[in-house]
Amino acid sequence: MSENVYYWQKLMGDKPLTLDLEKLKNAVTDVFKNESDNYKQKLVYNLLERVRNNDQKEFFYILLKAINKPKENFKELWKELKEKYDVMPEEAFINFAYSIIIGIMATYSGGE
Amino acid sequence: MLEAIKMLGEYETAKSEEEQNHLLQFTGNWFIDAGILGFVNLMEEVYGWDLKKLQEMIIKEPETVYYGYFPFGYLFYHSTIRMIYSKIQDIKKELSKENGLNQKIMETEKEIKNLQEKITKTNNEKEKKKLQNKLSKLEEKKLHKLKEKKKAMLSKIEELNKKLIEGKRNFQANVINVADFSNLKNNQITMCLPNFSLRLPAIARNFYLFNSKEVKNNSVLAFRYLQLLCQENYEKLYKFIKEKMPKTKKAKEGLTYEIYPDSTINPFLYSPGEFSNIGYTKPLKTTEIKKSLNLGLPIFIPLLCFEHAFENYYEKGVIRNVFFYTNKLDVCYSINKRMRIKKENAISRSKSQSLLKITFNSVIDELVENKANFSLENMYLVEYENIKNQKLVNVEYIGIPKLQASILLDDTIRENLNRSIQYRKIKKQFEWKWLLEEFIKGKPLYPIILSHINLALNEESVLTYSNLSTCLYSLISEANISEFKAEKEKQNGNLFSENYFDNYKSLIKEIKEDIRFTSFKAGLINQISKDADTKKRIARELFDALKARDKNMFLNILLKNMNEDKKLCSNKNLNDWIFEKIIKNDISFEMYCLILTMNLLRGGQR
Repeated sequence: MSENVYYWQKLMGDKPLTLDLEKLKNAVTDVFKNESDNYKQKLVYNLLERVRNNDQKEFFYILLKAINKPKENFKELWKELKEKYDVMPEEAFINFAYSIIIGIMATYSGGE
Repeated sequence: MLEAIKMLGEYETAKSEEEQNHLLQFTGNWFIDAGILGFVNLMEEVYGWDLKKLQEMIIKEPETVYYGYFPFGYLFYHSTIRMIYSKIQDIKKELSKENGLNQKIMETEKEIKNLQEKITKTNNEKEKKKLQNKLSKLEEKKLHKLKEKKKAMLSKIEELNKKLIEGKRNFQANVINVADFSNLKNNQITMCLPNFSLRLPAIARNFYLFNSKEVKNNSVLAFRYLQLLCQENYEKLYKFIKEKMPKTKKAKEGLTYEIYPDSTINPFLYSPGEFSNIGYTKPLKTTEIKKSLNLGLPIFIPLLCFEHAFENYYEKGVIRNVFFYTNKLDVCYSINKRMRIKKENAISRSKSQSLLKITFNSVIDELVENKANFSLENMYLVEYENIKNQKLVNVEYIGIPKLQASILLDDTIRENLNRSIQYRKIKKQFEWKWLLEEFIKGKPLYPIILSHINLALNEESVLTYSNLSTCLYSLISEANISEFKAEKEKQNGNLFSENYFDNYKSLIKEIKEDIRFTSFKAGLINQISKDADTKKRIARELFDALKARDKNMFLNILLKNMNEDKKLCSNKNLNDWIFEKIIKNDISFEMYCLILTMNLLRGGQR
């Protein structure tokens, strides 16, 4: 784990672990707005399962698969992920992952 | 009181420098300051002068006060006043002790009531008569006799009180009539101190004044000794002892603690006999102490009056001698006076009030009245349980941190914290914690609230509305304080940053705002299910995650359960709140998690 910490710090310059979670959450909310609720609900379950086991690899695999849609406007999120995606220390990963999940949850259209 | 403080303020500005030097003021050393306050209290008790009047007297004629009024006052207190007090105390003890008069009266009254009930129930005339006979005997003889006895005792107390007032009046008249204290005649001294016999105080048992047979019952010798001691004229003092009491040990061995004060004079000082290795050099001389503290009055006055600063309280069967200290004499004096009045009120209303409640209420009253214009720093409660063999038992110092004190100045926050809640159950008995006390002591409230919620989860106690609000205020205050502290640390100990001085004010505002939003937003979680049992199940799961301090697990359980209710998930208020207060927050998320859990246990349905 300590190796990862250094790698992460190197990536972020002088400020280790500075994630702009707000920006990340907003980007997620923006791109998932038009997806169907049932699809998102399932996706959230899947993602939650991965975070619980702290499985970063699988988490990103599912997430990237979900946004691998060139025709739709996922560009903003791609940009965010490109900057932030990395192997990161556990605490940072938890905050990062839940920001994405709650961002998706915010876009449910209200239960109809 | 306000006037007195205003007047003092005027003194500080209007009087000349020389008079300023004479003015009684604190030194910054709490130990000496306690003695100074004790001196003020003693003079008030004996002569009835308040601080303002005493200051006036000291400015006018300091030597008369220090070498005349003080020795007389001190000796009068330790002879006449203490004798009457102890007599009153004895009678009160006799009344209230086990198998004492009060208990006997109560038992007889109970017996009478039982008999009356029996009489109304029986139909047998013969037996009724028998019982009635017994009843009248009880009423007439026993109860009447006991009540008469109690009446006699109470009137005796009243008599003693009258005697005390009269004694004080005579004493004051006699002492004030003395024109020149430097040339006192022996008969003048005996007239001021009639029926003189010193009572041994616990604080200075081996002090020459009290343990020497020659001095103890001789008002002239006692007065002269004390006067010379206060004048710090050691040559003259030794000469006086040698002349007047040549057979005493002191006359043979010379002066000791008169020059190097130690635990004989005051139990807070150490004893060089017992701890010979403490000082590598000799203990400090009186003149050295005075010089280093820039003390304007004789050093023996604060040393001897130390105990008069303390007020004793009975709490849970334990006597606690307490003194509230802050670094200004006038404020300290008036807060301690308020404490004393509050204590007396509590006793007369036979209400048992916690000591800290009395203290803090007094402090707050003072602050409200004087618009909080004194520093909140350096407030301490000093207390000891007892003095045994001239050693203090169970001494404790409680500091009241500035941060906590300034938060408690807010009425709503204080009222909400000023409650006791159950926090655990041992052998079917609940144990309670008073949150304000913990808060003042700077202890975390989170574990207490956590235990309280645990009791509610196990249905051992009910989470009432007012408890809920108390928990909410406690948790949010604590969360904001810990964020505030973390922010301060981030500034790398940059103590005097731009907004250093009004920081605390903004903190109160933040806490109140947070409470407003949180109570609404976190309350939305209650909509997660209509079924109370389901909510309870979720609450238990969340609570377990919280107990394990596992943020990941907590969020997982929470979001998984929320995910079923799309409407709730997309509720912007709740969604943003969870993101802001729990996901983004690494410092105080636990407190907010507990608030969510708590809300699930709230009664009522969607």
